Amino acid sequence: MKRKRIVSNAVKNGLLALYALFALFPLFWMVLISFKSDAQMFNTTFIFNPTLENYDAVLLRTDYFKYFIDSIIVSVIAVLISVLAGVPAAYALARYDFKKKENLAFTILSFRFAPEILVVLPLFMIYQKIGLYDTYFGLIWVYQLITMPLLIWVIRGYFEDISVEIEHAAQVDGYSWWQVFLKRLLPLIKPGLVSASLLAFIFAWNNFTFPLMLSGTYVETITVASLKYIASDTVHYGQMAVAATVSALPAVIFALLIQKHLVRGLSFGAVKG
Amino acid sequence: MAKIEVVNVTKRFGKFTALKNINLEIKDNEFFVLFGPAGAGKTTLLNNVAGIQIPEEGLIRFNGEIMNRIDPAHRNVAMVFENYALYPNLTVYENIASPLRSPLYKKDNATINREVHRVAELLRIDHLLERLPSQISNGQKQRVAIGRALVRDPNVFLMDEPLAHLDAKLRHYMRSELKEMQSSFNTTCIYVTHDFLEAVSLGDRIAIINEGSIIQVGTREEVYYTPCNEFVAALVGEPEINLVDGRLFVDNGKYYVETLEKGYLLPLPESSGIVRKLVDSEVTEYHIGFRPNNIKYTFEKKDGLIRGTVYSFESIGNKAVLIAKVGEKYIRMIAPNDLKVKLDQAVYVELPIHKAIFFDAQTTNFIGTSDEAAIYRLVQEQLSKGVQ
Repeated sequence: MKRKRIVSNAVKNGLLALYALFALFPLFWMVLISFKSDAQMFNTTFIFNPTLENYDAVLLRTDYFKYFIDSIIVSVIAVLISVLAGVPAAYALARYDFKKKENLAFTILSFRFAPEILVVLPLFMIYQKIGLYDTYFGLIWVYQLITMPLLIWVIRGYFEDISVEIEHAAQVDGYSWWQVFLKRLLPLIKPGLVSASLLAFIFAWNNFTFPLMLSGTYVETITVASLKYIASDTVHYGQMAVAATVSALPAVIFALLIQKHLVRGLSFGAVKG
Repeated sequence: MAKIEVVNVTKRFGKFTALKNINLEIKDNEFFVLFGPAGAGKTTLLNNVAGIQIPEEGLIRFNGEIMNRIDPAHRNVAMVFENYALYPNLTVYENIASPLRSPLYKKDNATINREVHRVAELLRIDHLLERLPSQISNGQKQRVAIGRALVRDPNVFLMDEPLAHLDAKLRHYMRSELKEMQSSFNTTCIYVTHDFLEAVSLGDRIAIINEGSIIQVGTREEVYYTPCNEFVAALVGEPEINLVDGRLFVDNGKYYVETLEKGYLLPLPESSGIVRKLVDSEVTEYHIGFRPNNIKYTFEKKDGLIRGTVYSFESIGNKAVLIAKVGEKYIRMIAPNDLKVKLDQAVYVELPIHKAIFFDAQTTNFIGTSDEAAIYRLVQEQLSKGVQ
């Protein structure tokens, strides 16, 4: 019996290790490349002379940090706005009965249906005309298409899971509506809020189509900027790898910080409703 | 500590009218029970008093002050919700302490600590204070919910079926505890239940509510001995009252009711005044109510008793319910637990005509009762109230 369990555990762990290798190897490969010089790019695999040349080139000799900060500004503010507007919207969708409620909820979700490329050309024209082209606000605005539906739908499920009597009880206890919301409801939706925000942040951070078409000189995100390392004569894979590695860091760091909320946060509540 | 008035309150949900023109006056320090079947509007009425819902028409007054536009927080009411409504992320201690930490009813930490422990001991949950609601049983959750109300000193306690999920022993204990607490705390309490025993054992007065309307308001004696219609008679009392058809029959100046079988006459007691009431009502077709505990029976043939057969015999704890089939009618009565009885055996039933309640067969409304003792007691009660 005990022996059987040891064997089955070993098999399980072996399979998991295999999967981890499969999942992490591209990342590992990317990090590896970032330390290779252009000369050793194609004729070495694991054994080469590691160099910080690429890091020096990307981080110190280009505007990489500017792009990085741009990406941060645009993604973080987009998520913040989505939280500020989306949480009340989710609350309304969960709690109040109004005409065409489900239609509205579906419309919000449908923003995620169409491929971005489909809307980006008309948006480009409109942005040019109304002066939103190549501005922070323009990107933050269009990122709402990505971040808002996600937040609203996850958080709505959370609110629906909270019985309305809990709100009533808190009101009777002597809390005003805002205090009920902040002190009693917010802690209950926190796991969902945190994980949905992270996911929204990652989606916004990774977005390529919108910043490609709707910004370019004054505002430039890291996804678009990475293209710069494809020069006309040669492709600097090492420099691209550096850009990609560094740009993956924020999402990884955030995910590690909120790890305990993550899986439970997205699976609990979201499936119901 | 307030007098609660509900004046012409109507509450609608879309096209559905949940409360129809409700009028109630709940006295200061009164233990007032709202009693009715499921879906009667009991909880809705409670929510309107608490301010969780606002009536479309009518007024809610606390001590004469109109509360319609006051939010629940500022009404200073304590409420026990039927589904407990505990905060799942807070410990039992913090759940109970919640009202005392709110901006409106804030107390210092020492007071909170003392009060929470006092209430927890009273409710026998002091060993659970550090647990989360998900880690305790339903009965314990219900006691935490009661505790959250009891730590306060509110205008009125609103309790929505607070004992529904407790086991029988604990329910009995909590019932007496609540009653005692209420008398020693001097607080008004509105208590919702669908349990007849809770209603009569706790309520100073009982309001019977059905389909959004108040049917009758009265003391337990009033609703038991003089129910205003058949609905109330059936709701109050366990096992349910027997209602049999009857007809007024006059012979040689003597008054009888003919019931169950043609020619089976029961002489109406002259002294109780029931004859007067029946004649004055100008109704001759009745439904006559006999409480199961008043009905006598024997297994030997006796003159004047009506014959039936034993239909069922079921123990309900310390006593049993014997159902006899008389003609097409089933008569419920109380029997001792150890009664030896065979199904379909002959049984002779004596209907206690001196303890009968008469209803109009058409309208099902109360006409009168022949129970002199009950009338005497009710009159005494009225008089003693008048003296107060």
